[in-house]
Amino acid sequence: MAAPAAAWLAGLFLLPFYVLLAIAFGTVDPLFRTPVPEWNPRYWDTTQLLGTVRDIVGRGAFLGPAVARTLVYVACASALCLAIGYPVAWFVARYGGRRRTPLLVLLLAPFWISYMMRLLAWVNLLQTDGLVNRALTGLGLLDQPFEWLGGRPVTVVSGLVYGYVPYMILVLFAALDRIDPSLLEAARDLGASRARTFLRVALPLSRSAILTGLIVVALPMSGDYFTNDLLSGSPHTAMSGNLINDAVSTPGQGGRGAVLVLLLMTVLIPPMLWYVTSTARQDRPEAA
Amino acid sequence: MTGDPRKAFGPARLTRRTFLLGSAAVSGAVFLDACGSRERSTSTGPGRQLQLASPEHPVAWPVPKGSEPIPAGMQPERNATLKLFNWSEYINKDVVKDFEKQNKRYNVKVEVSTFNTMEEALAKLRSGKVAFDVFFPTYDRLGKLVQAGFLRALTHSYVPNIHRVWPTFSNPFYDQGWRFSVPYTVYKTKIAWRVDNVPEDVAKRPNPYDVLWDPRYKGRVGILDDYREAISMALLRNGGTDLNTGDQAQLEKARDELLRLATMVNPRVNNQNYIDLPEGRTWVNQAWSGDMVNAQYYFPKGQSAEVVRYWFSPDGKGAVNNDLMVLLRSGRNPVLGHRFLNYLLDYDVALKNLSFTGYQPPQTRITPEQLVTDGYIQANLKTAVVRPEYVTNGLRELELSPGVDSRWQRIWQEFKAGA
Repeated sequence: MAAPAAAWLAGLFLLPFYVLLAIAFGTVDPLFRTPVPEWNPRYWDTTQLLGTVRDIVGRGAFLGPAVARTLVYVACASALCLAIGYPVAWFVARYGGRRRTPLLVLLLAPFWISYMMRLLAWVNLLQTDGLVNRALTGLGLLDQPFEWLGGRPVTVVSGLVYGYVPYMILVLFAALDRIDPSLLEAARDLGASRARTFLRVALPLSRSAILTGLIVVALPMSGDYFTNDLLSGSPHTAMSGNLINDAVSTPGQGGRGAVLVLLLMTVLIPPMLWYVTSTARQDRPEAA
Repeated sequence: MTGDPRKAFGPARLTRRTFLLGSAAVSGAVFLDACGSRERSTSTGPGRQLQLASPEHPVAWPVPKGSEPIPAGMQPERNATLKLFNWSEYINKDVVKDFEKQNKRYNVKVEVSTFNTMEEALAKLRSGKVAFDVFFPTYDRLGKLVQAGFLRALTHSYVPNIHRVWPTFSNPFYDQGWRFSVPYTVYKTKIAWRVDNVPEDVAKRPNPYDVLWDPRYKGRVGILDDYREAISMALLRNGGTDLNTGDQAQLEKARDELLRLATMVNPRVNNQNYIDLPEGRTWVNQAWSGDMVNAQYYFPKGQSAEVVRYWFSPDGKGAVNNDLMVLLRSGRNPVLGHRFLNYLLDYDVALKNLSFTGYQPPQTRITPEQLVTDGYIQANLKTAVVRPEYVTNGLRELELSPGVDSRWQRIWQEFKAGA
């Protein structure tokens, strides 16, 4: 029964992962400077791994700032996704009523257009004389147009939020929609205010969904590179994904790209495992 | 001699195995490090050498086994699909269609596949699973391509139009006797700016490169996403003229300059200056001449492309390079491939191609004045025209030895990571 799942896992995860290992611990073709995978673990060479780690945490570690920047950007963007996504999901789940389906369709609509196309649209909107600046100056919120595309961290973080907030909303909606309304009503009947009902009942019941939502958005954000490429392009907003992308497209650096992916996976796998085990625990029948 | 060339010598299959064997043989001979660009020819072990071509050390590549030229006088392949492997948006589709029409009696189709970086292209070719006929590499990769047995030597009788291009390309330093390549385009790399945003004549600065470091243009400076071009620019700013240097002191100085540039102007690093400059995202940009010629088509409606200016050292001492057309050994239509090379070297075809790509073919008949009067290049961008003497006297970005290349890449990584 488990054969299809095992084949899926082997074909789409284990095999590519082994290729990644073989490249990360392999060598470089001296002529074309392309990676030469080493398939036999007995001959794995740790030069690229150690060199990359040294460049992240050692003396003169020039990759370190980009890694730290990624953590900060992803943390900020994930928190903003939660801050925006929770009220939206709450509203749709609790007050959507008959309009719930059209509201969900509206939330999903951006997915019908590729993320890259949407970002390209934002490039136009964020121009100095673009709609965003015109609106903000028109409303008196800005004295003069803001250089959104001038290599600003705020633009990159906003881009990440825009790109990934629908994932957060969907995860939260699924959880908030399952909260039994009678629990909330009971809290109100027992004299709790709206705020207290939310803090003492709704929030604890959605804690797991919040963590899941954070993981669902933080994982792809950590490897994202084209949000920065399109909305900034500045080295000072480069993220881990950009380091990987640059390594892969530079002669002789393919192995370093594989090492960076491995390191990123090392950081991302524990929360992913937590997510998988916690969902499995939730799905287990009560009796068990 | 006539006949079906595919029958005459069979499809020149370059299997992955064949390639890897050849590549391994050459790779084994590659000298892994070099102390500097002066070391243009490096000992690679017992009796083997990896030659790095340079104007001072021109190279006539020996023809590897299996890469021999096809016999002269053969008929083009019939009912064939000629497969081109080119940079994205680097050939006029109408030119391709015209070639199909010209060769209608052979029922020829042309298929264009594209790549975005040479690394991507080489990886695809290395897989040995593609059978492209014509490839458009940069000249600094020619040596590797030849030595790995990727290319087919040219049969000169099929390419009489070679006489239409600048004489230097009949015997270029990177391919003496044009055994494997013909030129496609020539271009230079310098600085473009918008006069409506940059209230100064950049060309009149004592050191025009300084404009890229000028904090007044913070957030509006663009740098090419190309480690050779960006580091070369820093070397040139420091007064260097060797764009292939392995000198540690010079490279460290260039590195410091680049890191300072990142801090001072927070540049936009990409290869889309032909869009960024017209749309006002950047005001001053390191740029390839061909991209600036093409930029006129990307200006928003109602805005004039006359605001763009391009500076290139009047003495021609700047990066000047060219792209090539070569035949791949794996291609199944070598006669058609030759015909296509010859076709693109035709004056009218080359100009038609220029009208789309913006990149100048090194045609002898072309003069800067004519390009302007005929509307191929705007008068304000006359400085973007490449003159024949620039190619012979300009500064070339040559193939680097792996050791020097690694040092250049490390600087680039440091810059790109925003260290």
